[in-house]
Amino acid sequence: MNIIGPDYLVFGVDDVAASIEYLTAFGLKPVDVTDKGGLFEALDGTGIIIRHKSDPTLPPPLPTSNMLRQQVYGVRANEDLDAIEAELSKDRRVTRLADGSVETKDDHGFELKFQVSKRRELNMPAEKINAPGAPAQRKPNEIGVWEEMPAAPRSLSHVVLFVPDIEIATNFYCGRLGFVITDVLKGAGPFLRPKANDDHHTLFFIRTPEYMKGCEHLAFHMGGPTELMVAGTRFVKKGYQSFWGPGRHKFGSNWFWYFNSPLGCHFEYDADMDKHDDEWIAREAPMGAEASQIVLFEMREKWAPGGPPPGAKP
Amino acid sequence: MTSAQPLCHADEIAEGEARGFGPLEGYRRKIVVLRHNGTLHAWLDACPHYPGGTPMAWKTDAYLNGEKTHIACHSHGALFDMETGECVLGPCLGQQLTRIALTMSDEGEIFVTAAQEEKRA
Ligand code: FES
Ligand SMILES: [Fe+2]
Repeated sequence: MNIIGPDYLVFGVDDVAASIEYLTAFGLKPVDVTDKGGLFEALDGTGIIIRHKSDPTLPPPLPTSNMLRQQVYGVRANEDLDAIEAELSKDRRVTRLADGSVETKDDHGFELKFQVSKRRELNMPAEKINAPGAPAQRKPNEIGVWEEMPAAPRSLSHVVLFVPDIEIATNFYCGRLGFVITDVLKGAGPFLRPKANDDHHTLFFIRTPEYMKGCEHLAFHMGGPTELMVAGTRFVKKGYQSFWGPGRHKFGSNWFWYFNSPLGCHFEYDADMDKHDDEWIAREAPMGAEASQIVLFEMREKWAPGGPPPGAKP
Repeated sequence: MTSAQPLCHADEIAEGEARGFGPLEGYRRKIVVLRHNGTLHAWLDACPHYPGGTPMAWKTDAYLNGEKTHIACHSHGALFDMETGECVLGPCLGQQLTRIALTMSDEGEIFVTAAQEEKRA
């Protein structure tokens, strides 16, 4: 089953106008968006779909405060959809839609959809750095930062779920859908990578009581740590609320910056995540501040040393 | 120890509205002031879901849910009763926001007294 990763995450929100404002400011591009909601795309066409929570076209909600209504996974080809349908219809209802996509639920009741991935192939450079001892990545006269530099989310990276039972969740995604565990935070849960994606994780679970079931956060890949910090700084300046970061995680090595949102979960910018193949042996670390990050910063207003020399007349 | 710190005039907070102030001296987080059924209530901007309490707005002064019926934590959508501060839905179900006492001058200016929040810890 060649699952690539999340194409879209679908939300039923209680304030469509606020969510439209938020997603646009976050850097996603509205596509066919009306006052009823619509799709907000990253550069590769993956993204977030919102509707009002009362919209009858949405899959049903969980009985918690969660607003995530469906994870839409992209697969490589039609044969993968057939394989998923064959495997999952052994023990649950699976619906084939007219466009060939497949809808069902996981073992915790999270709604799922599988489709031949709609993501577009990106062809753009990663952030370039220069360092002694290595060939320069930026040519002479090629500058690294400028005030209006682009810093747009490139691709939907991962989703993190609060689930009551890690074993049930892992058995379903690994045992039935072919995800692989890359690392484990003991006390929280495992990081998972689907077979057709070499990113460290597209899915992570955190064990919680039943009444918390839902989405903890989702993340979009940026072009590098500088883009991440530029995008986050612009976001904070517009009044949006930083939750955690910027910093760099240990497992996955990805830079992170998390923000509150009107969609009932955190939104994260991430950058420069590790890649893995089947040779990799999963590590384990106890959940906690030490294991969570190699560095953590908190944004402050711009400041510079300087001003008039001491004692100078104003 | 520290004198009362002014927030704003009571008239500046309309029915069904919330505003964040600070962080003020003696408080580790902002203070959320809202008016519900005519009465002003003030809460520490610290959701009890994660240790230490984390900020709840999704944007400056955006503390309420879409229907404006509850204070919402825009981390994971927890809903809190505006009058009692109790979490009625979400990850901190049954836990409480920390109430901040307000005082009002004869002219209608509202104040908080610093260092009150430290007593709780
Ligand atoms: S931090 Fe407030 S609901 Fe999770
Ligand atoms: Fe993340």
